[in-house]
Amino acid sequence: MALAMFEEHAQTEEHGDTESTTSSFSSSDDLEPEWLDDIQKNGELFYLELSEGEEEAALAQAAANQGVVSTNHVRFSEKEVEIITEQNKKQRCGSRTKGEPTLKKLARILRRKRRPSQRRGGGKDGGKDGSTLSQPASILKNQPSQRQGVTVQPQQLKEVCVYLNPKRLGGSSTPLCDRGGLLEALLGVVHRPAWNRGQEDPTAAARQGERLTVHGLIPNSPAIKCGQILIGDVLVAVDDVDVTSENIERVLSCIPGPTQVRLTMETVAPMDRSSTTDSSSPRTKTKASPPVSQLVRLLWGEDTAELQMSIGHIPHIVMYLSLKLDSASPQEEEEILYQYPVSEASRQLKGVRGIFLTLCDMLENVTGGQIISSSLLLGKHLVHVGYWKESNNLLVIGLPAERVPLLCLQTVVGDVVRTLKVMYGSLDSAFCTVDHAPRLDHFFCLFFQQLIQPSRLREGSSAAPLPDVSGTLFLDGLPAVRWLTLPPEIKLEVDTVLSDFESSDFGEMSEDFFGLRRLYVILGSCLFYKSYLIANHLPKEDLLDICLYCQHYCLLPLASEQRVGQLVIWREVFPQQRAANGGSSVPGYGQAQGRHFLLIVGLRHFMQCVLLEAGGCASPALGSPGPDCVYVDQVKATLLQLEVLEAGIEERLNAPPAPCLSCADWFLPAATARDRLDSLASSSPVFSKLAGAVKGSSSGSRGRNLFGEKSRRSSPQRSLSDSGSEGQMDAGSGSSVAPGLSPHSTPDSARKLGGRRDSLGSDGSGGSGGLMKVPRMKHPNPFYLGTLKKTLTERETEEMYNTMKLTSGVENTLFHYVLMETVQGIFIAPTHREVAQLSGSIHPQLIRNFHHCCLSIRAAFQQSLPARGRRAADRPHSGGWGLGPVKEHGVLFQCKPENWTDQRKPAPTMTYWVIGRMLLEPVPQEFYVCFHDSVAEVPVEMAFRLSFGLAL
Amino acid sequence: MMLQDGSTQLLCLTASSGVPLFSRGTSKQLPFSVIGSLNGVHMFGGGQGTVLSCCETEGGGKVIWRVFQDSVMLIAVSGGGQGGPGSSKEEVVRLQRLLENVWNCMVLVLGQDELANVRNVERLKRDLRSCFSLIDQLLEDRQEGILGSLTHCADCLLPPNPTLVQQAVDGFAQAADSEFGCLIVHGRIAAATEKWWRLAPQEVVLLSALIRFLSASGSTSCDYPVFLPHGSPTVAHRLLRFQLLPGADVCVLCGPTPSLHKAETGLVCRFWSPVVETLRECLTVGERCLPGSVSLRPDVMALLLINRETRRSVSCVKTSTHHPPGDPPLPSKSRCWELLKLFYMFSMSRYFAQEETLCVSQEERTQRGTTEDFVLGFSHQPQQCYLVTEECKSYGLQTPQHQLFLLIVPSVPTFALRTVATQTLSDIVSVTGF
Repeated sequence: MALAMFEEHAQTEEHGDTESTTSSFSSSDDLEPEWLDDIQKNGELFYLELSEGEEEAALAQAAANQGVVSTNHVRFSEKEVEIITEQNKKQRCGSRTKGEPTLKKLARILRRKRRPSQRRGGGKDGGKDGSTLSQPASILKNQPSQRQGVTVQPQQLKEVCVYLNPKRLGGSSTPLCDRGGLLEALLGVVHRPAWNRGQEDPTAAARQGERLTVHGLIPNSPAIKCGQILIGDVLVAVDDVDVTSENIERVLSCIPGPTQVRLTMETVAPMDRSSTTDSSSPRTKTKASPPVSQLVRLLWGEDTAELQMSIGHIPHIVMYLSLKLDSASPQEEEEILYQYPVSEASRQLKGVRGIFLTLCDMLENVTGGQIISSSLLLGKHLVHVGYWKESNNLLVIGLPAERVPLLCLQTVVGDVVRTLKVMYGSLDSAFCTVDHAPRLDHFFCLFFQQLIQPSRLREGSSAAPLPDVSGTLFLDGLPAVRWLTLPPEIKLEVDTVLSDFESSDFGEMSEDFFGLRRLYVILGSCLFYKSYLIANHLPKEDLLDICLYCQHYCLLPLASEQRVGQLVIWREVFPQQRAANGGSSVPGYGQAQGRHFLLIVGLRHFMQCVLLEAGGCASPALGSPGPDCVYVDQVKATLLQLEVLEAGIEERLNAPPAPCLSCADWFLPAATARDRLDSLASSSPVFSKLAGAVKGSSSGSRGRNLFGEKSRRSSPQRSLSDSGSEGQMDAGSGSSVAPGLSPHSTPDSARKLGGRRDSLGSDGSGGSGGLMKVPRMKHPNPFYLGTLKKTLTERETEEMYNTMKLTSGVENTLFHYVLMETVQGIFIAPTHREVAQLSGSIHPQLIRNFHHCCLSIRAAFQQSLPARGRRAADRPHSGGWGLGPVKEHGVLFQCKPENWTDQRKPAPTMTYWVIGRMLLEPVPQEFYVCFHDSVAEVPVEMAFRLSFGLAL
Repeated sequence: MMLQDGSTQLLCLTASSGVPLFSRGTSKQLPFSVIGSLNGVHMFGGGQGTVLSCCETEGGGKVIWRVFQDSVMLIAVSGGGQGGPGSSKEEVVRLQRLLENVWNCMVLVLGQDELANVRNVERLKRDLRSCFSLIDQLLEDRQEGILGSLTHCADCLLPPNPTLVQQAVDGFAQAADSEFGCLIVHGRIAAATEKWWRLAPQEVVLLSALIRFLSASGSTSCDYPVFLPHGSPTVAHRLLRFQLLPGADVCVLCGPTPSLHKAETGLVCRFWSPVVETLRECLTVGERCLPGSVSLRPDVMALLLINRETRRSVSCVKTSTHHPPGDPPLPSKSRCWELLKLFYMFSMSRYFAQEETLCVSQEERTQRGTTEDFVLGFSHQPQQCYLVTEECKSYGLQTPQHQLFLLIVPSVPTFALRTVATQTLSDIVSVTGF
């Protein structure tokens, strides 16, 4: 039980004498990377640390929440990590491209046995905590500064809320610590009875009841996690029940189940000034205290029970049930191979598992198809249950209907299954291995949290946009990854850097150098910047596999909202396409049978995912190899190399939206300006000028345009008859090659339009260059019209926004869009920042509605299509579609401002279309668009305009 | 596979004991073990505080459960199969309405008392046989152009001379000592007394179905006891029906008087012989449902117009007269009806809320929740929607008063659909005042 409590001090002093610069990477191999200790027995690694800036931001927020500007810095991660990043940063300023891993040695020296970030056993091995105690663990890690300059002060009482879970103890086979009892086992407070402090008769002391001074804290325990219990404090009361050493065990043993208890502590060192106010409202304190978002804590594998408790009343469950039952020896709940979570509401669902088993068994014979879903009413809650049968086992996932409509349940279940298959090879190997249970608990905790309370996950992180469930469901359900178009020169550079990396020519680090067979072949990699995919050198299906994994672990939002200090993930994966091809290979070509590994490295906003293959050309992998430092360092080097481009990418992100977007609120006049609506309806020049000015301002420089000079001139304003002929041609033949070809276009543009795909390589880059060219001029505030109207001549303004527009007509009426390239597996949509710039009160609603509607539109497309290239793990298609193949589907919505109080006038309304269009020719695309209904649009044409210049 | 593609099997059991009462449907009857299991899972769930409401299988098969009055359990099983009519997700709407209709139909014939308090199961089984023909009619949906059982809106026919017919119906009903009277032409209501319209929409639909069934039997008049599922589920009324012309029937709901004979001899001639010519005109309107004064655009293939306030609907499918050679052939008439139904179900289950505030109990609301959960997720109100498929273009439109569903020939450009729809709506409403 010896705790190296004050080791921290010694170590923090050490960092002074560390060598600070070694710029060559080759030196890194004699240094142990800091993630080395997090590697699991099976070789897997999930290592995440936040950067310093992030922690400070979180701290500032926490402080702001408390209403006190605290100078005490509560660091959440280890001290040494902060130092490293600090040093790193300084160094980076000096020489950008070199020398990240230089501080490895420091890292090693200072490395602490950080709590491995993989969830350690959850409720099942609470007893194992004892084994970790032998490792140096510092309680001060979480509270380094609160002890700073402690002077003895008058004793104060503070209240601390901790979350206790007695169930954890139940699973442990080891007996409770003989001396510490529940106080240690449950709460994690080490208290040494007085017998070792004096000569008094211990029994007498016990009889009187000794004060419970905190002599130590147990790592990973509730006490240390709450971060407010310090050594030297005295535990006075638990939930207002006075406790002493005599009755503490009895009091604690009365806690029946997972619950939050309020501890009253007597402390000498006041927390800060806010502690006095906290004592009056402990609940708010506990809410404000997490300095990092719940998501990060969840990923770190911290106690998930509290998060899970907060959705305990919402029925949801995942079960893996066996259909083959040995009826000879019926045991209680024998058929449940796996289940999560264990809560009241899920207990009810678990109770009716007989229904699921029976229906699965019976319905196939009756209707000739596997069961895919059923709906249940649990009290007032409607629950949709999705099924997935694999061999003799059945996966059942129950989700509340208000979160996941029946329409997309199948996609959600399919995605989970595919993710599990990518991670474990098959459902059986995922669920039937006992060791996997804690990891699956973690997996499904993330799954349910994301679906049921996404806002809770994000709270605590800075500037997180409010996630909307429909949006998540729709965008995550697309078999594609969000793509960011980059200016060609940046794109080229990114691709070059990635290709260099993929060539595995690591110089003297390479196996060639040593004459060895290389460990892994790099199959390809993809690069994300702030949740956008910016380069992909992977086949589509592999990309989707990796993307599913990243989505599931929320890595993409993590990289965009929070600066990741370092992220290293390593695990064996089972790419689905490769697994499927393995059995029936094309004659003459057999894909190499090897094992595949996924390596994800994130640095700041960049994240690179690399798919590696062992076996085949490379040496076969034996056992469960952990990450190889060489490969990790090479990816890091690549990312550091790419950081030069960050400014360029940021500029692209900051650039005004192209095509430009309108905010819904602009179309909904305020109560006083009702006449504006009329003027809008009749498209008067007043409004168009206004709109033009806005667009013009946001477009920034006049050099940029959507199509390049030539094609812009050749796409005149479409008259109604144009689109009419187009519509007819399209509807009639269904396979018009160049739907956007209008009678007015010049031969030049016709050539261009017709062969647009072919010309993309050369001409397209020019075109997209025009689209994406970053304005040199710092663009003015798009919402400040005053100066712009003066600076830009009317003609210029007109021209500018005409060319930037996706919609036809005088005003820009485009609100939002999503364009998916089915073949490449990417989609584009306005960036988060572009959406955020539009602000408004109606607009977010509109986008939510857009996504919800897209769910329905896409479901219609999916249902009417033969099953081909669906992302969900393969399963025969769900039924015919009486209506026949759907090409286009649109819905018109009407919105009114909320809280319309004016009784005399009816509330103004705004109507807009949400249209989905499926294109099979010339390239398969799905296009979803939302625009004001004042102009009739032809979605095919819009999709064409938008996809121009979009190439990987 | 025990069910044929696309066929629907209806099972009825006692809710408490699970004794099968009857099973209808074109397929071979399901084995007893399957019926028992289907009932068993629902009962088991009920014991655990969960209510199983529906199930879907690959290929579009569906199972729907519903318990009525805690005494009768109805289960509809529909086999999916490729391209069968309504093998899509929207089928749930149809099956839910079907179960409601079947229950109402049982109440209509037997009365609620007998169904709610089952004393003698064998006797109930025997009594239920009298409902079979009506239930089969609901199940098979044989008659083209009757959508009431799906929409829960009365199928109407707009006569060229509405006032004359209305006067005749009012006068006839009054003379028959009744406030409820209606004239049915080609199975659709051409005119009815005000009170008739005040009946619950489901009742109106069901009575129309019953009258169609009775008139198909060939008799010129009949006297049939009916319970009104919502209006008077325990006290029977008499439904008197008289055939005026082949395809035109008049009926009244009345108490003990007058006798069928008296009404037939005394009243029918007096009120209806003066308007025989008008009746003939009504009959010529035929399946178009709309008077000749309404001119529909040539590109409209089929339409369904619902008045949301009065819960009435008119629907028609036009046989295409001119068809440019070279174009892919337009869908047949029966296919048009099918597409219209499918598009209605599609729109209703996704965008347009089913309002039926009348007569919808809280229990029914929660039952319907399964199909409405998606509609409720919209933050803004859907107004119109369209669907472009290979066969045709469909357009749906909802105003505070009307719902219009159109099938339009594919050659019409998509952006013009909205104009076609709004114009069609205003044309019909302005001419007929529907």
